[in-house]
Amino acid sequence: MNISRRTLMRGIGAAGLAAAAPGIFSPAIAQSKPVRIGILAPRSGAMGTVGECGIRAVQWATERMNKDGGIAGRPIELVIEEETSPKDTIERFRRLVLQEKVDCVQGLISTGVSLGVAPVAEEEQALLIMWDGTTQDGVKEAMPKSQYVFRSTDNECEAVMASLLSIKYFKGKIKRIAGINPDYSYGRNNWEAFQQILKRAGVEVEVVAEQWPKVGTMDLTSHVAALKAAKPDFIFSSMLFADLPVFMKQGSAAGLFEGVNLALPAAGWQINQLKKEFMPENIVFGHNTLYFALPNASPLQKAFVEDYMGRYKEAPSWEADRAYFALAAYKAGVEAAAKATGRWPKLTEIIESIPKQKIESLGGPGQFRADKIAEQTFYQGLSTNQNSYDFPTLKTVDSFTADQLQKPPGVDFWEWLKTSKLPV
Amino acid sequence: MSTPTSAPATVAPAVSPSLWRPSGLISFLVIIAAMAGLPLVASTYMLTLMVPFFGFAIALLGFNLLFGYTGLLSFGHAMFLGIGAYAAAVMTSKLGVQSLELILLVAVAAAVVIAVPVGFLCVRYTRIFFGMLTLAFGMLFHSILFKFYGLTGGDQGMRVMRPLLFGMAFEGGKTAFITGPFYYYALGLLTLLGCAMWRIVRSPFGLHLTAIRENAQKAAYLGVTVSRMRLAAYVISGVYGAIGGVILAVTIGLADPEIVYWTQSGNLVFMAVLGGSGAFAGPVVGGLAFVLLQDTVMSATQYWRFVMGAVLVLIVIFFPRGIAGLFGDAFARLKRGS
Repeated sequence: MNISRRTLMRGIGAAGLAAAAPGIFSPAIAQSKPVRIGILAPRSGAMGTVGECGIRAVQWATERMNKDGGIAGRPIELVIEEETSPKDTIERFRRLVLQEKVDCVQGLISTGVSLGVAPVAEEEQALLIMWDGTTQDGVKEAMPKSQYVFRSTDNECEAVMASLLSIKYFKGKIKRIAGINPDYSYGRNNWEAFQQILKRAGVEVEVVAEQWPKVGTMDLTSHVAALKAAKPDFIFSSMLFADLPVFMKQGSAAGLFEGVNLALPAAGWQINQLKKEFMPENIVFGHNTLYFALPNASPLQKAFVEDYMGRYKEAPSWEADRAYFALAAYKAGVEAAAKATGRWPKLTEIIESIPKQKIESLGGPGQFRADKIAEQTFYQGLSTNQNSYDFPTLKTVDSFTADQLQKPPGVDFWEWLKTSKLPV
Repeated sequence: MSTPTSAPATVAPAVSPSLWRPSGLISFLVIIAAMAGLPLVASTYMLTLMVPFFGFAIALLGFNLLFGYTGLLSFGHAMFLGIGAYAAAVMTSKLGVQSLELILLVAVAAAVVIAVPVGFLCVRYTRIFFGMLTLAFGMLFHSILFKFYGLTGGDQGMRVMRPLLFGMAFEGGKTAFITGPFYYYALGLLTLLGCAMWRIVRSPFGLHLTAIRENAQKAAYLGVTVSRMRLAAYVISGVYGAIGGVILAVTIGLADPEIVYWTQSGNLVFMAVLGGSGAFAGPVVGGLAFVLLQDTVMSATQYWRFVMGAVLVLIVIFFPRGIAGLFGDAFARLKRGS
């Protein structure tokens, strides 16, 4: 083959241009590839609205972070799959990891599902950062020492805080207690924690009724009647799905709440559905890690709440904060590890880096502990209907950090409840 | 209430399975052969999807003995999936027994112990009454799993640890285990149980079941012990369900109450109808189609339930003999053409 001088010069010129062009044929080409984040969240059923709230928040965060350079210079790309039953969600998780080849999976709200998925994440050696779904039984039995799974704050934190605030605000008025809690581990643990904290505080009470509706039960009239017949002066309910507004509506219609004080540690999940017309005031009302109307909110929270309420015409719940926190923790972990190594970090380096990062989340500061369980800021208080919304807000805002409400690493929750120094 | 001697068969398909030629066994073995070669061409993820399909296929073979051959539609058959799944969970997590063969034996024994009394009560009824009774027992079992949380883990279920296959432990990650040795173990089990079911439906016992489905009264006049035959069919279908449940539980790594919920029983009915309960291999085809369809639709849209529902409606209205019926017709046309 004859190569003419012109062809040779053209070739050399092209090669020189390619070599001179910044970034071409350099590792940066690989680094401009998006970081793929798999999201597993419910989109229908009892947890559908909550899952959607988390998805909206993570989409908002992605948009914002991508404008700011993504994660260590790589844009974020979301791959969303639905959280359903444990079996199907495990299959979705495998799809994200094996088929979609995501860099990290985030999400999960149901405890039952997360207990199924988390061991699979460990087995697949895939990074999983959970939004929610961390009950005591799961922490203790299913995942004693996780390597790839980062879990949310203990689900019982909100019950511990609501119990403490019940004592703070209603001590002396609590004599006959009744509980109506969802019939699964979360509800049972919360009700037990409430009673133990009352006992520790020296509040002598009589348990006059215990009701255990199945999650998603939409006719609660028999439960309401049973509670009314028991004549409690205090009702504790950690109901948190679409059944909570139904309970409040039916209870209000039956006059159940007249002369009765209430604690609803997880009511913030259903904030938009809890309308003033059936909501009594002065309820110990839990917003978990995001109170949308926090008076001294950070600029980040204000920007999010404004955008969210403007776009969706409703208030965001704490799942938005959990979703944001998970993504922000991953971003912070990757960027710190990338800075330390001078390259895109390996998975083990990211995992090692995440617990060292302090995260500014929507609801306030937070951080993962060394045992990969989150510590965030919790908000609850007494409710009021004196506001411009059609649902209650807080007239007093109490905030605790998770280290005040959550057992330390390696300690049994029930033992910790008996011996810890509680903030109230 | 209807009795065995007076009840006409209603839920059975109009066309006898025996008329579905080419032989259902050949169709079944073609699927098995395709599955055996799949690891050579399919992605790892696709293989992880196929193992639950093997579990469903085994359960569906049993389900169809009851539905397609005997004319009894169970709405609570997921109970047997749960029996198998929880047998695996108790054996591996609580008792430390890792041998899968032993787990399968225990699952079969548990299924028989539960299927005999439940079946004894249910098979005395037919049509909607049988369906409602099986649904009631299924939900009763679900409530037991859900409520006795000290024993069953309640909503959180119980872990299913990785079992030993023929006494051998396998190194590597869970995915490698599922898509490697366990894939072929489950496929082997499906092959064995499929061949056994083929023998069952072609035996005098199977013909008795078909006769009962066609006309229970006439079958009784001819000397068929209707209740006993129905009970035997129910117990065998329960055993298949439990074995399928073991395969599912090992793949998922968890036994939880959702596996016995009525929606799961509904899925089994869906799979059988989708594939065509009138053909021997129909439900197996339906199981495969269901798994692939659900996987695709779930990833494509959040309204996947709507799509699945629409597919079921279309199948029932336009293709009552399911996918197998479509293939059967196409094959018959080809044959006529040639």
